[in-house]
Amino acid sequence: MKPYRTMARNSMQSTFAFRTAFLMAAVAACFQLVATVALWSALLSNGGSIGGFTLPEMKAYLLMGYVTGWLGNAIGEWVLANRIRDGQVALDLVKPIETQKMMFAQTLGGLPMELIMIVTVGAGFVLVAGPMPGPSNIPLLMLSLVFVMPIRFCIAFLTTQLVFWTQNFHGVSWARNAVGAVLSGSLVPLSLMPTWLQTTAAVLPFASLTSTPALIYLGKVSTPTAYLLIGVQAFWVVALWFLARVAFRAASRQVTVHGG
Amino acid sequence: MALLEAHDLTKTFRRPEKDPGLRGSFKHLFQRKYSTKTAVGGVDLSIEAGEAVAYVGPNGAGKSTTIKLLTGIVEPTSGEVRIGGLVPHRNRVANSRQIGVLFGQRTQLWWDLPVRESLALLRDMYDLSPDRFRAQLKRFDEVLGLDELLPVVARKLSLGQRMRADLACALLHDPRIVFLDEPTIGLDIAVKDRVREFLRQLKAEGTTIMLTTHDLGDIEDTCERIVIIDGGRVIYDGSLAQVKDRYARERRVHLQLGSELTVTELADRFPQATVTAGAEGRREFTIAFDKAELTAGAVLAGVAQIAEVLEVKIDEPAIEDVVRKVYAGELLLAEGSTP
Repeated sequence: MKPYRTMARNSMQSTFAFRTAFLMAAVAACFQLVATVALWSALLSNGGSIGGFTLPEMKAYLLMGYVTGWLGNAIGEWVLANRIRDGQVALDLVKPIETQKMMFAQTLGGLPMELIMIVTVGAGFVLVAGPMPGPSNIPLLMLSLVFVMPIRFCIAFLTTQLVFWTQNFHGVSWARNAVGAVLSGSLVPLSLMPTWLQTTAAVLPFASLTSTPALIYLGKVSTPTAYLLIGVQAFWVVALWFLARVAFRAASRQVTVHGG
Repeated sequence: MALLEAHDLTKTFRRPEKDPGLRGSFKHLFQRKYSTKTAVGGVDLSIEAGEAVAYVGPNGAGKSTTIKLLTGIVEPTSGEVRIGGLVPHRNRVANSRQIGVLFGQRTQLWWDLPVRESLALLRDMYDLSPDRFRAQLKRFDEVLGLDELLPVVARKLSLGQRMRADLACALLHDPRIVFLDEPTIGLDIAVKDRVREFLRQLKAEGTTIMLTTHDLGDIEDTCERIVIIDGGRVIYDGSLAQVKDRYARERRVHLQLGSELTVTELADRFPQATVTAGAEGRREFTIAFDKAELTAGAVLAGVAQIAEVLEVKIDEPAIEDVVRKVYAGELLLAEGSTP
């Protein structure tokens, strides 16, 4: 356990070393939030609702999209991908550690910085964006938020492994982000999507990242359904963790040999 | 049983075959063609505890691949490896506690952190007690001058500093056997000397060392055994002294004389040797001979009888010359006896 703790601490330290980068990310995030709020304000200015969301609800939804977007994201998947592409991962294989746990610890170390980003920008958003409903069930919301980071990590770790074969992360990352943005509900709520996309989202893990916590926040789902959705999140954590483990075992056989 | 045993170790890779240019890449999308390349083919190796082995060969000979196979990073296509009874790629975690690895071209330091933090992380990975950790740092400071590097962020280190820190990382847990893949690559003379001194010390302490390098100066003081690999196969495995004795017997005596002589006069005197005139015509000569047939002393004594000798320089071939000849295909080494 100890090396993983140290790893998380080291990783936290390195996020603080890059505070300027995070400051810029915060500015960019504010810009995006302002733009999407403006868009929804225009669409819902007459006081109606779209897909069951009124304007205040939509603002709260966007806030949750922002919050969940940060969890597990400070240590970018690029850090993991580069470790594979540069061949650094070869050195991890001669250490008495498990690469997956090590990278998870690394991701976990980003949490303090993520919370800072969430609290500062989020608080600003609440102050500026105007009236919006508060969370309908705080304990359930917190519980569902806890699962976001592990799920995001597993998805990132799994897709990152494709680098063993592709040697290039751009394509993999673009594809995953595009699909993820739609199917997680972070772009627009899933209820606004055509049925076939909703069905697709229902069988994939992405909805657990944003849609589930956002719906629980807004009380759009009944308490039993909320428990069910949290159960689905827990299922994905376990399933993806083991899938990633098996995949890594296969992928690490692909370690190519550079330089003779 | 030897500490490290490798038997018929083989690794083949599949490599995509593309025609040149965009057209070739496009065609490859639809018509996949691959060729199989053997990086390492049937390597047998046995290293006893405490031995220091130099593993040399030209670029692309399969040196690094062998190291990756021996350390368990890469799984062999066929054949087997055992280190201290463990199969490296199957018992990665247990094996990693008994081996140390350094790849000169890569760093195991965390890029954005001070060296101290990387070492602390390794301390926790290998479960070293605080006392043991301190003692190790002190030891590394003595030979590698580590203290001044501890507070520096890894990405700000110079190459030489980085290598010193990386050596400390690879040896922190006192491995039984250490694999060093080009530990002096790109280093200046001063740092190189420091690293070599460190290797000598390691060897003296009884650590088993396997060293690959292109700089044969690295091995002359440290290793008593040399394994030469080319085209994925071991072409020589024997003692370094034996290689030198058998294949580096030529001596060259360069002479500057006070009076003039001809090549013929000298050649007549030393029929076993080859005499060539130097730049200064009849006052400068090089006499090359096999040290088994003639000695430098005999040459000097013989020349002194017919001319005044002003300057003498004797060249002894370094192991480098032998290996250079092997690489160039000029010398076919006979199978050496494994020590």
